[in-house]
Amino acid sequence: MSNQPNTSRRTFFKVVGLASGALAAGYYFTHSEPLPPLVQTDDTLTPNSMVQLTDNNELLFYCPRDEMGQGVTTGLATIIGEELDVNPSQIRVKFSGIHEDYNNPEFGFQGTGGSTSIKAHYTQLRQLAANFRALLIESAVIDLDVAKAELKTDNGQVLYGNKAFPYSQFIATAKTLEIPQHAKLKSATEFKYIGFDRPRSDALEKSNGTAMYAIDADLEGLAYAAVARCPVIGGTVASFDAEKARMSSGVFDIVQIETGIAVVANRYWDAKKAVKLIDIEWNLPELGKVGSDDIRRDYDQAMEAEDGDSSQELGDLDIGFAESKVAIDSNYWVPFLSHSPLEPMNAVVHIQGDKAEAWAGHQGAGGVAGLVARNSDVPVENVTVHSTFAGGSFGRRAFLSHVAEATQVAVATKRPIKLIWSREEDTQNGWFRPASLMRIKAGVSASGDIKAWHAKRVGGNIMPDTVANALPVLMPRAPQFAVDMAESAARSIFSNFTTEHASIEGLFEDYDVPNRKVNHVTVEHGLPLAFWRSVGHSFTAFAKEVAMDELAAKIGMNEVRFRLRNMKANPRLASTLEMVDRRVTELGSEQGRQWGFAAHSSFNSYVSEAAEVSIESGRIRVHRVVCALDCGRVINPDNVVSQMEGSIMFGLTAALYGNLELENGAIKQSNFHDYPILRMNEAPAVEVLLTESSEAPTGVGEPGLPPLAPAVANAVFKLTGDRLRELPLTLAS
Amino acid sequence: MIEFKLNGASVKTQDSPDTPLLWVIRDTFKLTGSKFGCGAGLCGACTMHVDGQPTRTCILPIAAIAGKEITTIEGIGTADNMHPLQEQWVAQSVPQCGYCQSGQIMSAASLLDQNPMPTEQDVEAYMAGNICRCGCYPRIKSAILAAAQKLADQDAESAKEASNVEPA
Ligand code: FES
Ligand code: FES
Repeated sequence: MSNQPNTSRRTFFKVVGLASGALAAGYYFTHSEPLPPLVQTDDTLTPNSMVQLTDNNELLFYCPRDEMGQGVTTGLATIIGEELDVNPSQIRVKFSGIHEDYNNPEFGFQGTGGSTSIKAHYTQLRQLAANFRALLIESAVIDLDVAKAELKTDNGQVLYGNKAFPYSQFIATAKTLEIPQHAKLKSATEFKYIGFDRPRSDALEKSNGTAMYAIDADLEGLAYAAVARCPVIGGTVASFDAEKARMSSGVFDIVQIETGIAVVANRYWDAKKAVKLIDIEWNLPELGKVGSDDIRRDYDQAMEAEDGDSSQELGDLDIGFAESKVAIDSNYWVPFLSHSPLEPMNAVVHIQGDKAEAWAGHQGAGGVAGLVARNSDVPVENVTVHSTFAGGSFGRRAFLSHVAEATQVAVATKRPIKLIWSREEDTQNGWFRPASLMRIKAGVSASGDIKAWHAKRVGGNIMPDTVANALPVLMPRAPQFAVDMAESAARSIFSNFTTEHASIEGLFEDYDVPNRKVNHVTVEHGLPLAFWRSVGHSFTAFAKEVAMDELAAKIGMNEVRFRLRNMKANPRLASTLEMVDRRVTELGSEQGRQWGFAAHSSFNSYVSEAAEVSIESGRIRVHRVVCALDCGRVINPDNVVSQMEGSIMFGLTAALYGNLELENGAIKQSNFHDYPILRMNEAPAVEVLLTESSEAPTGVGEPGLPPLAPAVANAVFKLTGDRLRELPLTLAS
Repeated sequence: MIEFKLNGASVKTQDSPDTPLLWVIRDTFKLTGSKFGCGAGLCGACTMHVDGQPTRTCILPIAAIAGKEITTIEGIGTADNMHPLQEQWVAQSVPQCGYCQSGQIMSAASLLDQNPMPTEQDVEAYMAGNICRCGCYPRIKSAILAAAQKLADQDAESAKEASNVEPA
């Protein structure tokens, strides 16, 4: 079945979760005590570390998850507002500090990602808000001296007959009572906010320039840093001459850091200019000898010559192929990609004595604190992280080497530092979506049933880099050799002994297959690899869903009917495909255009998409996309639609353009001219259909992406007869 | 020393003349609504109006703006006095991460100045210089069209009122 959690990340998060739990206990607090700014004062009521009621009846929500564009502040506030009977639009949202109370219940530590935020906090926040409401009612019973049955709540008020009393009126009494632990939750029929469209709470500040990002942080005496870094990731400085740079206007300091030479100046522009004047000799790593052709050749060879690790075995492939009337054996390729959030990596670090403050967009504030501590003498508990909005992330800001750099510069210069990567640095310095070569051999019986499915993937794994990145964060004082050992252990485990789930997730789950096997061969060249929006699904869905179209064509069935026939055990995905199919039939198709289809489940959600495509002046043009999604109960339909729209644009950029190439170990692409991002004149119209569901809510930030590229490729086949099996999609000339 | 007008006020700066306007506005004048996205005139995050023209300020040295009028997102509208585009941006929940949106709104404002009733194709062509990595394009487009319509309705309304005024 498709309903498989992202187990490799899960397992990993469990492991690091334990570590971080221990850390939290050791370094921060021994029990869950609300942190400042959640200190109890006489005039506020703070029944837990998430919400605080002020004496003027304002409700503050300390949002434990990071806002990178996905609308989590609005979504989580809606859940709280629902059970607390407070209009979510009136809830003031702040980002929480660092504390175990703010852990992601799915991960066991304070991280945001994996499309988990709503799923992870739905029940937790409802219960916590319901308990708070019950406390207020109990207090009102005492203060008003009436029976509980006569009280209702609405819009931040306790209602008695035709009288309304603001919640804040009961603060004093509430402070004397025990907080109920298991207050009854609303039934879904009582929902007023959950399931209804609601404007994003951050839309205004993000429309008038007042929204604060890390790059906007300002401090007295702030100096700006830019880094001259090796064109090959992992290269180190052999020698350098910075005399010219030192003389350049506005330059204060030149310091060597782990990743290169940093120029510190009065203004960012001064630093940028001076960086260009530094001459550096580099010690190049092995990667320095590698080009894109080498990588492709190594992957091809591994695909032909090696079996690697096999997993997910069911039945007997030989029998399956014997029962098949037609079969395919196709290879699919996807390249390395950069996340390219519009706000480039940057960090502000200010160290004063044994205390530090830091600003950086992140997917977990603890990561920022850990890296500041690791790169300075400041104890981790003395690092204050100012969480801001992140200007996009898509997995990128789980990796925070720029925070380490800013800290190293701040330590060396004893100045508050704002370190900004250029767009070119951001494009070229990882971590990257791993390139992948995939092969699908599959067979179908005369009646159209898939009998055999043998998938194989060649490429690098994400986990070793994640371990290398996470350990120093979780254990700031762990010596480097221990971190290196853990990294190489992880590398060895996933190269030699077992398959990392994120490397094959999505390659085999969605369809009913009696005979199945997945092989994985790890081939790595030293590029750092990361989660990239929808992780493994970002490449596996392309292979799987193009393969499905190939099989349908070979057996002579309609591609939608063929999928549905082989999806009996996956009814939720099937119903999204039926919705898309119906809608496409209604819409019809214009002359010279074709609709291509794809269906894929990921992050416990189910998505089908159809893309209407034409070829215009030799280029692929996507006109419309119809998307149907089952993500369980929907908190805010409009925001879900927005996430689908965004995922589709993100997916289309990857389908048409995304391609990082290597030359002598250096990434060739640098900025948006040669690493293009989809623009408005290329953006399709998007229609999103949501299923009605009372299942638990699941992810929406990522699942909209995987089906897009195969849907477009499948439409191109109908238009041209060419099977495109490589991304970015390139028409045969 | 270079003097110019910033959101209506006369200002001067000692920053070196080759400094791009974006960094002077952000780091010297501390208006951080305009963003750094690419530094190469490719994404539009840094868009401001220079003498009314939408301009990529990450590649515009301040030597070129002496005596000119600069308008930034901060000069376009505030929370209490929103530009009609901003009203639509909020009403339609346009932003995701929000980082591109100052630039989007500055470009859109220029579009409506030049072409008060743009077609969908006009909007797409004019806005093609502004990248949104989060992919808010469908909403940006629909918010611009809605703002144009609203402005046109208001104009029609005030024209009607003006023609209804009795001569004294
Ligand atoms: S930052 Fe100026 S166009 Fe991108
Ligand atoms: S809203 Fe994120 S880049 Fe446009």
